[in-house]
Amino acid sequence: MRLEKVQLRPLEGIKILDFTHVLAGPFCTRLLADMGADVVKVNSESRMQINAPAGPYFTMWNRNKRTISLDMNHEPARKVAGQLAQMADVVIDNFSMGVLDRWGIGFDDVSQVNGKVIYVQMSGMGSGGPWSNFVTYAPTIHALAGLTYTTGVSGRENIGLGFSYNDHQAGLHAAVAVLSAVEARRHSGKGQRIDISQFEVAVNLLGPTFMHYFRNDQPTEPSGNDLQYDRIAPHGCYRCKDSAVDGEVSERWIAIACLDDAHWNSLCDAMNRPDWTKDLQLETAEGRYVQRRYVDEQIGKWTSEFDPLILMEELQGMGVPAGVVQDGRDLMENDPQLQESKFIRTIEEPHPRMGEIYADKLPIEFESTSCEIYKRARLLGEDNESILSDWLGIDKETVQKGEEDGYFR
Amino acid sequence: MTKETRALSKVRIVDLTDERAIYGVKLLADLGADAVRPVPKEGDPLEQRGPFDGTTGKSLWYAFHASSRRLFHVSCSKESNRQLQRLCENADVVVANSGHPFEAFLDLDEIRKKNEKCVVVDCTSFGRMGPWKNYLAPDLVAGALGGSVAITGDVDTPPLKPFGDLNFTVSGAYVAIAALAGLRHARETGEGQVIHVPVHECIASCLEHVFMFYLFGNIFRNARGGVLNRRGSLHWTDLYEVMTAKNGHIMVTPTPSLDNQLVWLIEEDAFDDLLDPKYQEPGERGQWARRMMDVLRSWVAEKDVKSLFFDAQKHHAPYGWVQSIPQVAENPQLAARNWWSTAKIDGDDVKISGAPYQMSESKTSPRDLPSVSVSDQDVLEVCGWRKSS
Repeated sequence: MRLEKVQLRPLEGIKILDFTHVLAGPFCTRLLADMGADVVKVNSESRMQINAPAGPYFTMWNRNKRTISLDMNHEPARKVAGQLAQMADVVIDNFSMGVLDRWGIGFDDVSQVNGKVIYVQMSGMGSGGPWSNFVTYAPTIHALAGLTYTTGVSGRENIGLGFSYNDHQAGLHAAVAVLSAVEARRHSGKGQRIDISQFEVAVNLLGPTFMHYFRNDQPTEPSGNDLQYDRIAPHGCYRCKDSAVDGEVSERWIAIACLDDAHWNSLCDAMNRPDWTKDLQLETAEGRYVQRRYVDEQIGKWTSEFDPLILMEELQGMGVPAGVVQDGRDLMENDPQLQESKFIRTIEEPHPRMGEIYADKLPIEFESTSCEIYKRARLLGEDNESILSDWLGIDKETVQKGEEDGYFR
Repeated sequence: MTKETRALSKVRIVDLTDERAIYGVKLLADLGADAVRPVPKEGDPLEQRGPFDGTTGKSLWYAFHASSRRLFHVSCSKESNRQLQRLCENADVVVANSGHPFEAFLDLDEIRKKNEKCVVVDCTSFGRMGPWKNYLAPDLVAGALGGSVAITGDVDTPPLKPFGDLNFTVSGAYVAIAALAGLRHARETGEGQVIHVPVHECIASCLEHVFMFYLFGNIFRNARGGVLNRRGSLHWTDLYEVMTAKNGHIMVTPTPSLDNQLVWLIEEDAFDDLLDPKYQEPGERGQWARRMMDVLRSWVAEKDVKSLFFDAQKHHAPYGWVQSIPQVAENPQLAARNWWSTAKIDGDDVKISGAPYQMSESKTSPRDLPSVSVSDQDVLEVCGWRKSS
């Protein structure tokens, strides 16, 4: 059925049955829900510890979804889950391999009754292989994939990324895969199984690094803020004048990246260093790279006298790529771009347990199919009735009985 | 499984991206989209990005990011511009970075008038409005302003850029999603549209705990003024950290079950004071967890890193052995899944990354690496994009 040509969100009409938890999976389904998909998140009292629906972490990653509670220890709940899967365009989980199979809603079961289903398993290591049952979180993946090793400074292997970066990337890549399968199904009429190894997502992000290793037999080592393969300088973070917030001294930094001679010459102007523009050793990018520690030291001395925001405005005004190293407070309080786009907004309906909660905006702006709808994360089983009615035509009394009997909990 | 089939084989894309979004078009092209990338006769500026092939001198960065594309030469001539315009008028999706040299040649209104279904994804650094809209932001600067740099690094290092182009791979992935969501709507309704993707917001949307700490700072013990400063590998929960073993590094966490970790420590007679009743007092669970991390640091220091990693996995503990690039290249899981792929670059077979997902009915690994395969004599003819109508 073709949708009417009215202003809808771009994924209206897509039904997603969501068995995901923690961050990677919920981030994927949040994106799809933001863009209009009807995402039904399956939860249960017995899995509350991981999926606690009244905590800030859960509320961040599960907006715009509806929630059904199914206690999969009970056969009637598993049967309902199977019926929901039969109606779904997309079934997605990020459990360890085999959990949904044991519940009778694995790909083989579901695809027999729903040939159009797009069935996504986003496990840590993928289906098959000697590590397929390994348990992982994002920091595990960062370590195994080389992201921890390469993000750091020379001689240190214990820094890595300061947040669960790859969970976001796994979620984004899962969304790409789902939407590609939707396009494929339009032409083939068939669904398919998608196997996402979060480990492979991470390794793929280092693609050029592995090509360098395979072709040139050169392993990449951590190099701080230097570009690993391009002999370009200055390229780093430089300390600025500290600031005081609420009586506490706070380090301030600015990032400066001179990618070409024009950037460099403008930086020399800003620093009032005409001697550098005449210095033959610093005339070329290669020369500056060779002298980069000296250059970095000099720039650091200069930046330490300035407020980073004022310095950034001056440097950008002169055509030098420069940016304040913004922390969460900067992003929330000082960032004019995020304020311009109302990036953080209060969700209209307060959360019944947490009160006022917030949404960070979907960073995709559709001119014709606005996605400016942000609904709070739902409590356990809050949408049992509406979901079972909409998807399966089950009446209210039956739902209430299931809740009393403990199946829908 | 029909291996020849690719999910996006019926999608035509014009690729006018730079570093900020080229990864997004790579994802779409590797999934089968016919992605045509115009390049200047003197070469694509992105071919200047390292690493380079030691034998041919070609950019491996470019080979990776421009995989599965068809390239064609464009000059500043009127004829060239006309060809590019016509190409866009026959595309399903146009992906452009604002400021791309060829973007200025295009008449977007004309494209949309002639091709109502066309989806145009416009990727900017900071959006179309606001005081920073024209700021220059390569990956380091984008990450600094976007928030990823402030939380990476240690107390004794500067804030650090995530390795490589990890900020721009985030915006690239968002660009791919935007294109596919717009395409889905266009397929359903016949209505194309312009879609804006600011890199700055993309990075800010992928910072896990950062906004949560600010917004719910009263809940988190370690949030000072709503901010958690960079502190090496120690996770915001205080329960994940890269620790030093006898002969290597390993990411250690007692999650998801601290009790199971305790049992393991008891088995090894390494539980120290973790059974002290004081930790059973109400409100002491957090203190107990932090004490467990201290105990783990001492315990791990005496361990062989490889054995510890596999022991941990036997205990269902999600430890992660810190692997160097050669170690990842030899990883048995990737080998068992035949993950590495081969593609041709100027006739040479090159070993490259496989795909970030596998699909049962569609091939996903990159096709050949980019080469100029389309002449500029008659772009539409050669691309086979001339409309049957």
